[in-house]
Amino acid sequence: MTDEVSPSADTLGLEKIDRDEIDHSNGVVLQAEGLRRDYGSVVAVDGVDLTMEEGEFLTIFGPNGAGKSSLLGMLGGGMRPTAGTVRVRGQALSFSEHDWQHRIGMLSHRGFLYGRLTVEENLRFYGTLFGLRDLDERVPARLARVGLAERARFEVRQLSHGMRQRLSLARALLHDPDVVLLDEPYTGLDPSAAGVLRSVLGELRDGRRTVVMVTHNLREGLAMATRLAVQVSGRFAWEGSNQGLGREEFERHYHDVVEGRV
Amino acid sequence: MSTYLSQVWVIVWKDLVLEMRSRERIAAMGAFAVLAGVLFNFSIDTTTTRPQDVASGLIWMTLIFGGLLGVGRTFHLEAQDGALQGVLMSPAPKDAVFLAKTAANFVLLYVVSLLVLGVFGLFFGLDLGPNLGWVVVVLGLGALGFVALGTLFAAVSTGTNMGETLLPVLVFPLLVPMVIYGVGTTTRLINGRPFDEVEGNVRMLGAFALAAVAAGAVLFRYVVED
Amino acid sequence: MSTAGMRRGGTTLTLLGLLGLIALYWMAFFWVPTEVNQGVVQRIFYIHVPAAWTSFLAIGFAALASGMYLWLRDERLDRAALCAVEGGLIFATLVLTTGPLWGKIAWGTYWTWEPRLTLTLLLWFIFIGYFMVRNATEDPEKGKRFAAVVAIVGAIDIPFIHLSVVWFRSLHPEPVVARPDGPTLPGDMLVTLLFGVLVFTVLFFGLFLFRYAVEGLRAEADLRARSAA
Repeated sequence: MTDEVSPSADTLGLEKIDRDEIDHSNGVVLQAEGLRRDYGSVVAVDGVDLTMEEGEFLTIFGPNGAGKSSLLGMLGGGMRPTAGTVRVRGQALSFSEHDWQHRIGMLSHRGFLYGRLTVEENLRFYGTLFGLRDLDERVPARLARVGLAERARFEVRQLSHGMRQRLSLARALLHDPDVVLLDEPYTGLDPSAAGVLRSVLGELRDGRRTVVMVTHNLREGLAMATRLAVQVSGRFAWEGSNQGLGREEFERHYHDVVEGRV
Repeated sequence: MSTYLSQVWVIVWKDLVLEMRSRERIAAMGAFAVLAGVLFNFSIDTTTTRPQDVASGLIWMTLIFGGLLGVGRTFHLEAQDGALQGVLMSPAPKDAVFLAKTAANFVLLYVVSLLVLGVFGLFFGLDLGPNLGWVVVVLGLGALGFVALGTLFAAVSTGTNMGETLLPVLVFPLLVPMVIYGVGTTTRLINGRPFDEVEGNVRMLGAFALAAVAAGAVLFRYVVED
Repeated sequence: MSTAGMRRGGTTLTLLGLLGLIALYWMAFFWVPTEVNQGVVQRIFYIHVPAAWTSFLAIGFAALASGMYLWLRDERLDRAALCAVEGGLIFATLVLTTGPLWGKIAWGTYWTWEPRLTLTLLLWFIFIGYFMVRNATEDPEKGKRFAAVVAIVGAIDIPFIHLSVVWFRSLHPEPVVARPDGPTLPGDMLVTLLFGVLVFTVLFFGLFLFRYAVEGLRAEADLRARSAA
């Protein structure tokens, strides 16, 4: 039973998930066990377990150096864990296999964009790498969604940071991944780009995608999340569901956790 | 399979388009080729040496040093934007990425090698005549082996603190067979010897190129893994 | 084999090797008959060839261990490769330092491009490359992987280098008279040569085992220090 939604100008064309493909282990989409990452003698991630079900939205807060980027890297398969495993819909992220990559979309602060390619060319490039066939329809639709349709022919190096982030977002979601990972997406965004991001994330959540977001932006992080976590020194020092705490309350709680009072 | 090919092709396309738009590497390599021809010309004492005798060796050395300029920066652009990570996190197999980058580098270097051949032919008064086709083939085989090793070790050296300066140290010892067979063959061909004489060496050059490409395709994934 | 056992094994082999070396020197310089064409000078051949041989053995061993390391990710395999490369470097350095000295005495030139010396020189650079790459990364795991690649590609290249250098040499005969290092050697010479190869191989593995055991201890100590921190 597949609902195909053809991309239109004002949606991301999010296809409903094909239920026949799913690993029916209680709708678990992402499962990480015992994740550990060392850099020589420095332990960046020290034993993290995480289970995410379909439609959950986890925001991870934490001070710099807590290992959040490394954790996200491992969840996305871009970084090999020193120990532990990651599974997406039951399938282990294996170094040598190539069929799990389209279930994951990653928005990194590094952009993954080529400065001298145009906006359109960047998307078409990644679309081809992901084996997508309908790029002629898909690319313009996605560009329109993030408000970059008029700049399709601009080289990326001519774009502002906010526009580049919007393009990175379109790139990350181009292949309709089940799991979306965002590493500090709100950093340095102008209000309009932030607005686009916010509405796209809202759509992801409504479309029952699974999202893990790392951010310093308390307001945005709390607004979207169904679950929250605070990562300190490579571990989840605190995690729980989003009870609708106000920003100030949570901020106090956050500082309590980070400073070890909880 | 067709996905694999389209993945390889799109990466080759991307590298060549980027190169055409920035002209960063081809300009450096092209300028080096011409200037090397000029300088080498002055470095030969024509009272004691015939240019034709040493031309072949100088052509290959120019290609190697110039090639290193270009190949060394294969991953430079992508390291800057973090774009290589994006490619590596895509479903494109790592060997496809390697083959694509090697192919793009090969195109770059081969174009430059034909330029070098032309420049040196002109400056050194070489009569390439009947064997020109074979010389072009030999240059191609040499370029392929060079580019395969260079791309693999460019990925290695870009990942170290020393960066591209490490590349010649790693690659030069490995290139000895290529230089020996390449120069040996080219000298004979330039001097009008029949192809049969050099056929064995050309095969070795081909075998070398094949081994380099195969080794690179297999080992690249271990180099770029994070 | 336990670490202590390995150390003991290594020490024993090394001592055996050293004793064998003394025997080899005697054989090479006193026992074996003088070669007709080159005279006394040729005797270095029985030391040089085996020493060079161990450095080739080293790269082959290192390449094998490196390949398995990349596949299985067992730290011990990486350590084995490291120790093999170290041993290879030592023997290659020996060949390269003694070779020119003898060359000067025997033929008046420090360096000739004869195939064995050339191959050893290039191998020496490959070994150096191994260490440079291993120590030039921020993440030590990356360095190990890079070094493994260097060892593997180096080993694959060796046959090509050998063939090309031999061919090159055939084009440019050096003033030095060709030496009798073909496959057909008269009895005593062959025995001495083979004994030399045996001795140096034993020496190599002795040093290797010893070094491997020490490296293992160091890794263990590192691990303890890390988990205590």
